[in-house]
Amino acid sequence: MSSVRAPRVAEQLTVDELVRYGPLGRAQMLVGEDLGRRVSRVALVSELDQIRSHGPGTVVVLSATLGHGAWMVESALRLAWERSASCLVSPAEAGPTSATAQLATRMRLPVFAVGEDPAAYALELAAVVASPEAARARLAARCAELFTERSSPRGILGVINAEVPGVTAALLLPDGHLLAGQSAAARAEHQVRVEVPGPDGRRWADLVAGLAAPPAPTWAESVRLILRLARAPLTTSVARERVSAVYGAEQARAALAALFARPGGAVEAEPGVDLPGWRLEGRHVAVFLRTDPALEGAGLSPGVVSAWQEVLPELPLAPWQDGWASWWTEPEIESGQVAAALRRHLARMRVPVPLSAGVGRAAEGGEGLRASLEQAVLAAGATVRLGHGEVRTFDELGYRALLGTLGQAELAAAARLVLADLLAAPDGPVLVVTLAAVLDCGGSTGRAAARLGLHRNTVLGRVERIRARGVDFDHPDQRLALHLACYALLPELQNGRQAATQQPSQ
Amino acid sequence: MSERLITAADVPALLAGAEFFSTSAAGEGIDFAGVWLGDILDHTGPVRLVAAGDLDPGTACAAIGAMGSTTAMAELPPSGDEPAVLARSLEGRCGPLGAVLPLNAASVNALFPVAAAALLGLPLIDCDGMGRVFPLIHQTTFELAGLSLAPMAAVSAGYDSLLLETGSARAERLARVVAQSAGGWLLCALYPTRVGELAGAAIPGSMSRVLEVGRVLLAHAPGRPAWTGGPAHPPWESGPAPDGGPSWEGGPYREGGPGARRVVAPHERLLAELTAVTGASVLGGGRLVEIGPSVRQAAALFPGNPVGLAVHDHDSGRLIRIEAHNELILALSDGSLAAAVPDLLCLLDRGTLRMTGPGRLTAGDLVDVLVVPAAPLWHTIPGLALGGPGAFGFPLRHPKEASR
Repeated sequence: MSSVRAPRVAEQLTVDELVRYGPLGRAQMLVGEDLGRRVSRVALVSELDQIRSHGPGTVVVLSATLGHGAWMVESALRLAWERSASCLVSPAEAGPTSATAQLATRMRLPVFAVGEDPAAYALELAAVVASPEAARARLAARCAELFTERSSPRGILGVINAEVPGVTAALLLPDGHLLAGQSAAARAEHQVRVEVPGPDGRRWADLVAGLAAPPAPTWAESVRLILRLARAPLTTSVARERVSAVYGAEQARAALAALFARPGGAVEAEPGVDLPGWRLEGRHVAVFLRTDPALEGAGLSPGVVSAWQEVLPELPLAPWQDGWASWWTEPEIESGQVAAALRRHLARMRVPVPLSAGVGRAAEGGEGLRASLEQAVLAAGATVRLGHGEVRTFDELGYRALLGTLGQAELAAAARLVLADLLAAPDGPVLVVTLAAVLDCGGSTGRAAARLGLHRNTVLGRVERIRARGVDFDHPDQRLALHLACYALLPELQNGRQAATQQPSQ
Repeated sequence: MSERLITAADVPALLAGAEFFSTSAAGEGIDFAGVWLGDILDHTGPVRLVAAGDLDPGTACAAIGAMGSTTAMAELPPSGDEPAVLARSLEGRCGPLGAVLPLNAASVNALFPVAAAALLGLPLIDCDGMGRVFPLIHQTTFELAGLSLAPMAAVSAGYDSLLLETGSARAERLARVVAQSAGGWLLCALYPTRVGELAGAAIPGSMSRVLEVGRVLLAHAPGRPAWTGGPAHPPWESGPAPDGGPSWEGGPYREGGPGARRVVAPHERLLAELTAVTGASVLGGGRLVEIGPSVRQAAALFPGNPVGLAVHDHDSGRLIRIEAHNELILALSDGSLAAAVPDLLCLLDRGTLRMTGPGRLTAGDLVDVLVVPAAPLWHTIPGLALGGPGAFGFPLRHPKEASR
């Protein structure tokens, strides 16, 4: 027997719990004050004086033989209050009135009215109070049954939110991003939290239950049990969603490949692409997403596709070449609008890797789409060097888009060789960045200084040091190659500079 | 020695006092009896009100009281010949009566014994057997002292005459049936005894108390200057208002010197006087927040209309719950039994400065709840068994009993 039994928490139920999943849920709650009172036992009283013999924490159930009238309920209320009873249950026909309720409110004693036979009711209450685990198990069983009928995280969270009153539940990523449920749970002062493993068995998210008040240990334990019951269905539903995302993405890739394999004119004649949300006719603007070439790999697709679908469920995203492709189709669409929308969506998207995007020109029909997507791919090749979240249109980049097609790794290696002297300087990287800016500005040190946010003399000083290292950028037949070499090194130099500036604060 | 006369001029005070001691039935249609008594006293002259000790202990006497419905009585009023019929009935058994006394000096039964004394030319003994209204004719201190209720003479509106020779509880049951069949009420002469037996069996001074309370209430009746009449003036009532303003005419009034500006509301002054006269205490007062039918107690034998009232005590914030079954039976303060029969619970309407009852109240009225302690005989164990909450079907112990 290797299993270790969890330590038992205090076994007394509270009035609150009897309301939530005990027989008190069926009673009419006349006064709901101070429901956190512990319940130690149940007493059926047929004479008022009997109340005096019961200790604190008793649920006082008034027998039908006790007599009727508001006076009787109020007398019982008073006696129960004097004995620190946990609550009072009166037969509905005994006649507690609104004045009685006010009195109970002042005494902060919960009062319930029941329409059924008080004797049978007291018996049922006593059974629940005697065995709190059974009552807790009943609620947990109810939730477990409902979990099996729900297939999405949203549905599973809905069960908790609906069936476990007083509790708001949310599914949060470790960084706090809300995946499903109510965001109030994440902000709640009192929480019960369990980790939810992903399909790979590692922590994927947290299931959080928010409670309005500090929960009694028993209640917290009940909530924890229900959250744990929800874990497996959540993991399953996530796995199912990922599988379907990958399947959908592969379908989309096949469809896209079919589209591009056809000769230009034939596209409109036989659409062949039958995926929801995909349209070939009309005016398109294609987009292409890429991540840092160092991070690229086949394993990324499910994460990127499901993150995309979370934000843009109506647009399919297809893995394509070394990135992901999609397009907007609307009668008056322009690439600028798409770039702005995409920028917004990328900021909201919870992607596993940094993404940048290129946007093609607006074009009509299948052939136009192909052209737009090619432009987007070209633009993405350039934006991927600019950093995470960057979105540029093909037109914004102009001829620079061409640079995106150059093999980054080979070019950078060659650039490091040809600029070895310059890089060897103590401030080598700074000099390369400065050189790139001066070349960008057609040799004007003034404009380069403005662009870099420096004083012109600083730039002039650096140009002197660059020249001192034997770099002559005025020579026409060297100039293009030099400019390219700088560009090939810029991304890694900029990243290195960012890392260097971040270091002190880490 | 302490003989007083009750004249026609005393009838209004008698009516007001009778109203005070009749709890929830307060003043419901007993004015007819006042008119009737006034006429009789005009013809016969005043009635001598004497203490039992002032009479020869061997004098034969009997308690006079009506049972049944006062509404029926107002519709079929007594003719005035009834007391003579009663006296004749009893004469055969006990000899001629030398004095009469009230069965209970409250409601119409504070007036009928006066009428009987006037019509029979007999003195009225200043005592009674209840000190209030109880629903059953044998709920008396006479019963507690072991006096026999029978023989009991009764006469109905139709001059049906009846002499019952039986036990107390059976007499009550039989007479109740007869009263219903014979027009709704009976005038009865019962507990025939000798004056000497009354010591320790009757509540002395009951009639004087009714008159005294009646005078206090009359003095405060709306439209009357507060300082005219009335037996006991609190010290602040000795002259015009101390702030030098106009004389008191029923509006608010300031107590104390010019520095003390506390306004004494008219009902507070009336309450102060009533408590001084009766030894009563004020349980609380405020707005009536709830009034409605209550539930008949399983053990209750009485004719009665169960009504529940809840008063929100203005000063303490407590909830005063009053349960009425014709009589005001008990008062709970925040669920704790604060007062119960046999002590007298009465309600003062702050608006009219008159005693009031469930039949005349609506939610929202402002009332004060007074508790007049019952005579010590009632607080004995047999007394509480006969007239305590248990006798009305309430499974509660009287506060006196609970504190024992």
